[in-house]
Amino acid sequence: MEIHLNRVDYMQVGVTSQKTMRLLPALGKKATQKVAIADHDGILTCFGMKKGEAVPVFKTLPGQKIARMDLGGAAGTPQEKIFVCSGSQVRGFTKKGKQFLTFDANLTESINAMHVSGADLFVCASYIYNHYCDCKDQDYYLSGDKINDITCLSSENLTRLIPVLACQDRVLRVLQGSELAYDIEVPGPPSVLEQFNKDGGNNVSTGEEILYGTSDGKIGLVQIGEDSAATKWELDNGKKKGGILCIDTYDIIGDGVNDILVGRDDGTVEVYGFDSASEPTLRFEHVLSESVTSIQGGCVGKESYDEVLTATYTGWVTGLTTEPQKAEVGPGDEVRMSKETQSKVEALRAELEQLQVKVLQGREQYQQTSQSSTAVSAVPVFSINDKFTLCQDDASYSLTLEVQTAIDNLLLQSDVPIDLLDVDKNSAVVSFSECDSEPNGNFLLATYRCQANTTRLELKVRSIEGQYGTLQAYITPRLQPKTCQVRQYQIKPLSLHQRTHSIDQDRPMNRLSLVGQFSFAEIHSWVVFCLPEVPEKTPAGESITFYFHNTFLGTQLEATYCKGEGHFRSDNISTISILSDVLSKEATKRKINLNISYDINDDSVSHTLKMIHPKLEYQLLLARKVQLIDALKELQVHEGNADFLIPEYRNILDDSTNLLEEYKKQPAHLERLYGMITDLFIDKFKFKGQNVKTKVSSLLEILDNYDLNSLLNFFSEV
Amino acid sequence: MLVPIFTLKLNHKINPRMVTVGKFDGVHPCLTAATQAGKVFIHNPHARGQRPVAHRLSQSTQDSDISLLNINQAVTCLTAGTLGPNTTGDTLLVGSQTNLLAYDVHDNADIFYREVTDGANAIVLGKLGDIPTPLAIIGGNCALQGFDYEGNDHFWTVTGDNVRSLVLCDFTGDGKNELLVGSEDFDIRVFKEDELVSEMTENETVTSLCHMHGSRFGYALANGTVGVYDRTARYWRIKSKNHAMSIHAFDLNADGVVELITGWSNGKIDARSDRTGEVIFKDNFSSSVAGVVEGDYRLDGQQQLICTSIEGEVRGYLPASKDLKGNLMDSSAEQDLIRELSQRRQNLLLELRNYEENAKGVSETNSGVGVIPANTQLQTALSVRPATEAQKAHVELSISTPNETIIRAVLIFAEGIFEGESHVVHPSAQNLSGCIRVPIVPPKDIPVDLHIKAFVGGKTSTQFHVFEITRQLPRFSMYDITVDSSAAPPPGRVTFSINDRPQRVVMWLNQNFLLPEGVDSPDVTFNSLRGGGLLSISMASNGQITLRTDDIDLAGDLVQSLASFLAIDDLSAEADFPGYFEELRTTLTEVDEFHSVHQKLTAAMADHSNYIRNMLVQAEDARLMGDMTTMKKRYRELYDLNRDLVNEYKIRSNNHNALLACLKSVNQAIQRAGRLRVGKPKNQVISACRDAIKSNNVNALFRVMRAGTASS
Repeated sequence: MEIHLNRVDYMQVGVTSQKTMRLLPALGKKATQKVAIADHDGILTCFGMKKGEAVPVFKTLPGQKIARMDLGGAAGTPQEKIFVCSGSQVRGFTKKGKQFLTFDANLTESINAMHVSGADLFVCASYIYNHYCDCKDQDYYLSGDKINDITCLSSENLTRLIPVLACQDRVLRVLQGSELAYDIEVPGPPSVLEQFNKDGGNNVSTGEEILYGTSDGKIGLVQIGEDSAATKWELDNGKKKGGILCIDTYDIIGDGVNDILVGRDDGTVEVYGFDSASEPTLRFEHVLSESVTSIQGGCVGKESYDEVLTATYTGWVTGLTTEPQKAEVGPGDEVRMSKETQSKVEALRAELEQLQVKVLQGREQYQQTSQSSTAVSAVPVFSINDKFTLCQDDASYSLTLEVQTAIDNLLLQSDVPIDLLDVDKNSAVVSFSECDSEPNGNFLLATYRCQANTTRLELKVRSIEGQYGTLQAYITPRLQPKTCQVRQYQIKPLSLHQRTHSIDQDRPMNRLSLVGQFSFAEIHSWVVFCLPEVPEKTPAGESITFYFHNTFLGTQLEATYCKGEGHFRSDNISTISILSDVLSKEATKRKINLNISYDINDDSVSHTLKMIHPKLEYQLLLARKVQLIDALKELQVHEGNADFLIPEYRNILDDSTNLLEEYKKQPAHLERLYGMITDLFIDKFKFKGQNVKTKVSSLLEILDNYDLNSLLNFFSEV
Repeated sequence: MLVPIFTLKLNHKINPRMVTVGKFDGVHPCLTAATQAGKVFIHNPHARGQRPVAHRLSQSTQDSDISLLNINQAVTCLTAGTLGPNTTGDTLLVGSQTNLLAYDVHDNADIFYREVTDGANAIVLGKLGDIPTPLAIIGGNCALQGFDYEGNDHFWTVTGDNVRSLVLCDFTGDGKNELLVGSEDFDIRVFKEDELVSEMTENETVTSLCHMHGSRFGYALANGTVGVYDRTARYWRIKSKNHAMSIHAFDLNADGVVELITGWSNGKIDARSDRTGEVIFKDNFSSSVAGVVEGDYRLDGQQQLICTSIEGEVRGYLPASKDLKGNLMDSSAEQDLIRELSQRRQNLLLELRNYEENAKGVSETNSGVGVIPANTQLQTALSVRPATEAQKAHVELSISTPNETIIRAVLIFAEGIFEGESHVVHPSAQNLSGCIRVPIVPPKDIPVDLHIKAFVGGKTSTQFHVFEITRQLPRFSMYDITVDSSAAPPPGRVTFSINDRPQRVVMWLNQNFLLPEGVDSPDVTFNSLRGGGLLSISMASNGQITLRTDDIDLAGDLVQSLASFLAIDDLSAEADFPGYFEELRTTLTEVDEFHSVHQKLTAAMADHSNYIRNMLVQAEDARLMGDMTTMKKRYRELYDLNRDLVNEYKIRSNNHNALLACLKSVNQAIQRAGRLRVGKPKNQVISACRDAIKSNNVNALFRVMRAGTASS
């Protein structure tokens, strides 16, 4: 079933955070709903649509940045009280805009996730979860990693409220009071939670199912029980769309079953319907130009037309409505505009003119201050929404930057050798500048000159394990007076590793042990320095174990450490080598004497080579096939058909488009594999105290005529 | 939303930029394109199966609408159109690196087949200037040649570098066509027959040109720039990270004015307004676009825009109907308008907030914001730095702040002097200071605007003020004035007379050279930082100017620059560049040698192919007779012969490449000799040189180059 939704822009507020727009419940049947939206200027705006124009109901005064919004109300009544959190404070407003609650949560950190259910208030700062009932402290929990979102289940089947936390370390933590009941592993870092079965527009859950979205773009449904959970389904992110920022359920298709509405950080809005087998299928997709921070289904623009309402990062409230767009072509050459739009445009123009005058005055004053010798110029910080994440599929980092106005240019600087990859979506003109690694330590200097109206940039960066440093991005928006802001991103020594929940214990493992006079916090900070996705806060307890896997090769790493002692086990000898180099360097910096011991398992090398083997073989075959395509095509043209070719070649011809696509997707894959095998070779003998750099050329020769056995022999012979 | 009215999958690859539409029988338009393996395919869906198969033409077995034309050489350009006076239909012209073929598809016969030593990189068909018959004009290595329907060359001239694109249009508005030539030295030159009328300098190889209307034309560069010129003034240009494969003028929105249609390397097609460059329509192919042409492909009297991709996908678009109101995109105009206005409002609000917050003042402690004194002004200075042991000779741009603020980084956007479009200086955290020196080495003598962006703030700031300054680098910036007159002046010189005051020449010197404190006499000596030795300029009281340098290119640039500064239309000069002329003499002898080797090799190859034929017959005979030993022996011999042939081919191709390089340098020499003069004397020199080369009179050639005329 196809649906068509038309885009309507309603209004624009300031920059918004995730989940800060909600629809208030409708008063009667079929009436339009009011929209409440809160932004970074601290303004909570509530508006309704009248004759195509946004009419504000109320607007609060500016204040601290609002991070979340939720609706609540006494159980059994419409959930129309608006709760917003800013800093460590939670405020409540009635639907008329009267503030009835100010509650200070007394947290040292600011609240970044909140859920309201009846008289219960759940708030989360980075690692802390707090439950208040009637503003009285009830429960407290300290999570092992950052909390991204919270929701709470209540239903007849459950004896109590069940809070669920979405934590950065790829688990959903289900709590019971102040204790962890159990946790659920999910395929990526969860960024948003939503109850699957909601009672109409109200906020009260009636089921035990929870939808989650991850920051790498996956969606799943889990059924939560009191002491266990079951995964219902998971949707992969095959098309490499952006991470999920918001989810809602609403029957937009009109088949009586709630559909799933999804907003992503690359601007994609999706509607998933359910087929007869209750499997979610994509029914509708629309791409807005910026991150979708909030999404909800409802009725705003016109009575009896359902729509998907979205809010974007720069504060646009946009509806995708089922209302058909009128074909407004009348006589005469001008495209005729409806009266409403005309008045809207006029009002806007008038406002613009006024603003222009004010801005001119401002400019003049600013110019005048430049004459004075005592005045200073300080331009307020503009907000940047950035994300630097490892993509599992191609083992590269993706950097997305979003600014509330158009970006003029971007300067990328790195003090480690990294490769910048081309991204199709990115239309900016890139130019690489000559680098002088001495004396300024630059390995990459690139400028991106953006096309007009680019507010969002996506880049891809490929790093090499073992080489670490900082990537800096200087972002200059098209805003007077011109300023630029720098953002820093760490390229960690084991940059291609990702956290997992468990590892295969049967593989041959190498071990690196450290003993010395260091505290738990110190060794934790070293691990944070070496590996991505480790929480910065020192974990509670005496000791901790983290598991990682290498996204490129599939090798694994186990890190267990406590005060004065650390053990790292990996089947990849290069990983151990990098860790030992970096850790000893870090320890020397702090003048701590480390006792390092190794336990090298010679089988691990051949094991790793065998793991690489299928990838390498596949890539070599692919490269060979791709090489043949053009020649075969030419033969085909020359001979008129391909019947004379042997079946193998005919297959290549038939499959050529797929092969080429595959080849394009993985640029330099083979070179990277070669590099890693070379590292493995050098590292293996490094631990034996031999320097084999001179033999690398013969290794490369063997790789050029690749055969697993000869490679294994070469590794064992030398 | 405009959608294609037809889509075809031809299953033949199409070489980029080698697509045309021709009515070979006078009625039915056929899409014609070069494909792999030295073939040209002709797609004729209108006259199915009526085609005789003979000579070059063969029916494709895959698709009955397609006939293939065997060229047996890599095709480099093709076009179709009316060439002869009494032909039924269009003539197809196919150029390769060595030949030009004019072919009558309808009669299936060659019209002419000419060897062109300079190759044919680009081709255009049409009338040029006062020449009565239409010409097929090809552009090769530095040379332009025009052939009529009999294959006689009526037009020949040289240009600065390898030609990449050609178009005919009425540039001067005199009712006659001029030839526009885009070449690899980044120039667009306009020829009124063989006279050079105008020259526009771009910053990359000019890959495509197309006539829009009147004197307006579109161009595309190898770095992803497309734009529109009206005469010598650029209307607009845009740059993309993709490359423009093909440009074409077509009125897609039916408003009576053509739009510039661009096909991009990422498969995008867009139509841009000729006045503003605003996109009015876009569509996407799955692979790179190969060519954009137009024709009445449905035979309904309407021209369609036909876009082709390199994978052989073809899409045709009709001009938009009236009720689309020029709105070809899939969005509603009013929504866009409101959105744009709101966006502007938001920008103004943000700017206003900036001023308000600034007026409030920020505490000094918050250093992350990057507070700087309001009276901070950047100082920039350009100076010439001769080579030292540590650094090559360069022009130094120094940027400094007057107070304790630091410069975090400097971005310089400029065209044509850096590898990319920008250069970045980003000192490491330890080396931060309030002064940055940027060495610049312009590779060519061109005036460049340096758009400088400097990030100024405190040492620990995360936000910086961006200072934007534009400085102009004068044309001849890589020359350092010297006072030391003891060194002997270089033997190369060019002498000419002007009727102007010396003060004007001094003015020109001050504007075009980087002089620390200016000069007040027109007699100066410079040291070329590119290692070209000395350059001395002197002016006698009778207005005679002598330029002494060994670099003939530099002399040409100086003459052209001075002539345009003083608005001189015609300028003849005497020149002598002993070193360069000696080199040229050697090159000319080499050309002769290469020619004779070439002939020898061709003869040897013919011999060998005869042998092969014999050998093959003998071997097959032996096979049929069952005499396996003889057969084996023959085939072994054949194999050896084949190897010899391959080796010979290698020699031949090396020889050919060397010959091409020599010919190019000869053509360049003529061009350079021309550039020492301006206007009519320039054209005289070029045509006299051409005559000398044709008659193989080397001495006359040098006489012309020296004196500017053939006589005496």
